[in-house]
Amino acid sequence: MIDAVLARARGKGGVDNADALWRRQEQTAVAFESGRLKAAGISEEAGLNLRVLSKGRMGVAGTTAATPDPTALLDRARASAELGEMVELAFPDSSPQSQPRIPTYFDRTANASLDNLIRMGKLLVERLARPDCQINVAVEREIAETAVGNTAGARGEYRATGIAVAVDITRIAGDDVLMVYDQYVGADMPGDADLETLVRSVETRLTAALKVVTPPEGTLPVVFTPAGLAAVVLPLEQALSGKTVLQGSSPLAGKVGETLFDERLSIIDDPLTPGRPLSRPVDDECVPSRATALVAHGKVGRFIYDLETAARAQTESTGNGRRGIFGKPHIGYTNILFRGRDGVGTPQPYALGGGLIGDIDDGLIVDDLIGVGQGNVISGAFSHPVGLAYRVQRGEITGRVKDAAVAGNAYELLKKIGGFGSDGRWLGARYSPSLLLEGVSVARR
Amino acid sequence: MKDRLAAAVKQSRADYTEVRVERTWSSAVAFRGRRLETATVSEDQGGFVRVLNKGCGWGIASFTSLDELPAMVTRANELSRAVRLEEPIRLAELAPQTADGVLDLDGDVRGIPLAEKKKLLDRYNTAMLGVSALIVDTQASFRDEVSEVWYVNSEGTSLYQLRPEVVVSGTAIGRRNGSIEKGLESIGLRKGWNSVQGFENQFRVVAQRAVDLLAAPRVRGGAYPVILDNELAGVFIHEAFGHLSEADFVYENPQAREMMTLGRRFGKPVLNVGDNGAASGLRGTLPYDDEGTPTQDTALIREGILVGRLHSRETAAKLGERPTGNARAISFRHPPIVRMTNTYIAPGKKGAGFKDLISDIKLGVYACGAFGGQTMLENFSFTAGWGYMIRDGQVAELVKDVVLAGNLFQTLDRIDHIAGDFTWNQMGGGCGKGGQFPLPVTEGAPHVRIEEALIGGDV
Repeated sequence: MIDAVLARARGKGGVDNADALWRRQEQTAVAFESGRLKAAGISEEAGLNLRVLSKGRMGVAGTTAATPDPTALLDRARASAELGEMVELAFPDSSPQSQPRIPTYFDRTANASLDNLIRMGKLLVERLARPDCQINVAVEREIAETAVGNTAGARGEYRATGIAVAVDITRIAGDDVLMVYDQYVGADMPGDADLETLVRSVETRLTAALKVVTPPEGTLPVVFTPAGLAAVVLPLEQALSGKTVLQGSSPLAGKVGETLFDERLSIIDDPLTPGRPLSRPVDDECVPSRATALVAHGKVGRFIYDLETAARAQTESTGNGRRGIFGKPHIGYTNILFRGRDGVGTPQPYALGGGLIGDIDDGLIVDDLIGVGQGNVISGAFSHPVGLAYRVQRGEITGRVKDAAVAGNAYELLKKIGGFGSDGRWLGARYSPSLLLEGVSVARR
Repeated sequence: MKDRLAAAVKQSRADYTEVRVERTWSSAVAFRGRRLETATVSEDQGGFVRVLNKGCGWGIASFTSLDELPAMVTRANELSRAVRLEEPIRLAELAPQTADGVLDLDGDVRGIPLAEKKKLLDRYNTAMLGVSALIVDTQASFRDEVSEVWYVNSEGTSLYQLRPEVVVSGTAIGRRNGSIEKGLESIGLRKGWNSVQGFENQFRVVAQRAVDLLAAPRVRGGAYPVILDNELAGVFIHEAFGHLSEADFVYENPQAREMMTLGRRFGKPVLNVGDNGAASGLRGTLPYDDEGTPTQDTALIREGILVGRLHSRETAAKLGERPTGNARAISFRHPPIVRMTNTYIAPGKKGAGFKDLISDIKLGVYACGAFGGQTMLENFSFTAGWGYMIRDGQVAELVKDVVLAGNLFQTLDRIDHIAGDFTWNQMGGGCGKGGQFPLPVTEGAPHVRIEEALIGGDV
């Protein structure tokens, strides 16, 4: 599909340069609502995105038409370029770096029947059903084909699979609402052990939450679970984007190589992690995939770039270009992995607190915060009411706390990490253990 | 097109079949700092089929290739039959609707050259950048669309709707040394080109606020009497209460139903709340929802008492109530689910103003604007764009990082004064639920006082 449009772009009356992405996605989903299978659905979508450089200016156009007309698409991209900015993109070419090989397509996932998906959902519903709780389970399988290429001769093609199994449980007792959520996300189907981990994780969270206790107050040690870490990670993700750096709004601009974090902390972006749905051999601009050290032993590492931002920042793309069917390519993370020194003891992906609570006299475990991403994220400051949090007293979880808010600054908190948990796990596209952070402000009503 | 849909519905073997086809023309312009990011025109189109059979669940198919429509009806039927249900899904009765619902385009965006749109946005962006050297970055975006939606179901409903939309928004980022603040302006309307002219000053104001916030202290965390401005009060009612009034939250859940029993007291008699999908010219306005139900003004809280909720045909049937026209999908890629439209807190006593709310507060917070809000049913959070301390009945110093954390039941019950100065917030952005974001909605409210609310932050 992209060959025709790139040929047209190269041909007579064409443009200086162009690149294109074609993607076809097919999703199959089953949904259990309040423990009952309620719906099954499929979704099929294909689209083509074209970017051109015409008289030095950049323009884009996209279409979901079943049989796109290359000429019309090119005309639309050229019209877009007439208003566009000047830029010189270093399109990858066909020759040099061989594209890395990485498994992205798993037959088991691709071939899973509707019955397979339903059975998996049913198993989770049966394992987790409780008379006082409502359980929803969603199973979604995706099969995608991607073709990406440019007029400099680079070509990339791959197929990928993904499966997501999400469980959410709601327990309402009087006016008390408790919500527990967890998920399995992978490129390959979950094995029995993965589903068992999911069940145990939900059960552990739920059981420890049944009793409600008074929240503590003051400046306290807080264990952020892999899910709870979102508020702490988000400012870093924004600040480490080459776009934010280029715009002058990143607090990490000009700090590459400086030790700003605990020296045991390393964070990488790795599109080559096996078995993850966001892994791929090339990015959406056909740049070969490679890992990027965002934070290396506490030092600010490398920022991530796509082709355009790299060109403007006079550096090279890190292979973090991402594009949809409409709009131009932009910077996107792939798989973010925390590489801290893991805690002692046997790994327990579903343990609550990750083995970090033993020395806490009074504090919290934060598993979910409400409103992450709403505030002045880039500054590192956050302040959120707890969605799901537990009080820790004398090294033990004593119950769930409500009506409390936690606040802090990610940059301050990550200077000294109290401990890395033994519960490292994937949550969506992020792998991390729990982190014990000291000096978090906890307010209660 | 209606005929094509009708033919597909007719050949369906399912007990109930509905087909929705959308064709959306849109254009978008974006600036980041002084640099243009994009200027594009797009055309998106696709279809959605949903079927139901006796003793079975929903079978759903969405697709971009319209040639596949008949095949997709068959696929959806197969999927429905694979879902066996003991308790059948019923749909509330609805008389067949046939109409063309064409909303006022107020300057058809399809006829305006992209270069003109770039020029307009450039003016707003330049207005923000020109405020101060401390404005180091901006994000400005213009997006318009005209969406044609055809809907036909097997009960005889056949609709065509033309839905315009235009959104202009800007974020100004101020920076001084290590500290970074932002100001946000957003205008979103179910209208066209004529309705987004002449907003330079609003964009200047938000950039100036980002600069002012750089020097402002963080609010000190704790419990305060809080006055919400119109915008934040609107976001509050949407987040804190609106989502609970969506019947898909209660219809399968006996405990939730008990919590949301009609007739329960939720607030003081000053509190009146509703959702009005039929209001004129707002972003959440639609003649018909995505199940073909006409929209309406639904009272949710009347004088503090819960009196209604928002329904799809399925939730209405289950609860023995009437559909309210709140089944909405963000696009053909998604099934309709219960959503808000234009949600509001009705104005209080006529003539009651801000002064009446503030005069007896010794120490409190005046929370203004909204960066966003999120709810976890009983608990919610919303982030004000900025705030002021209230001291001895007067608005005092500017403060930043004002986050309200609350419990729904306590907070609604603590609303003790509502002013008469009602306005709709004509914002862009939108509401997210069940993976469907951003759904165009509007919120409206006057100034509202909460006797005591928790403000996050350092203690």
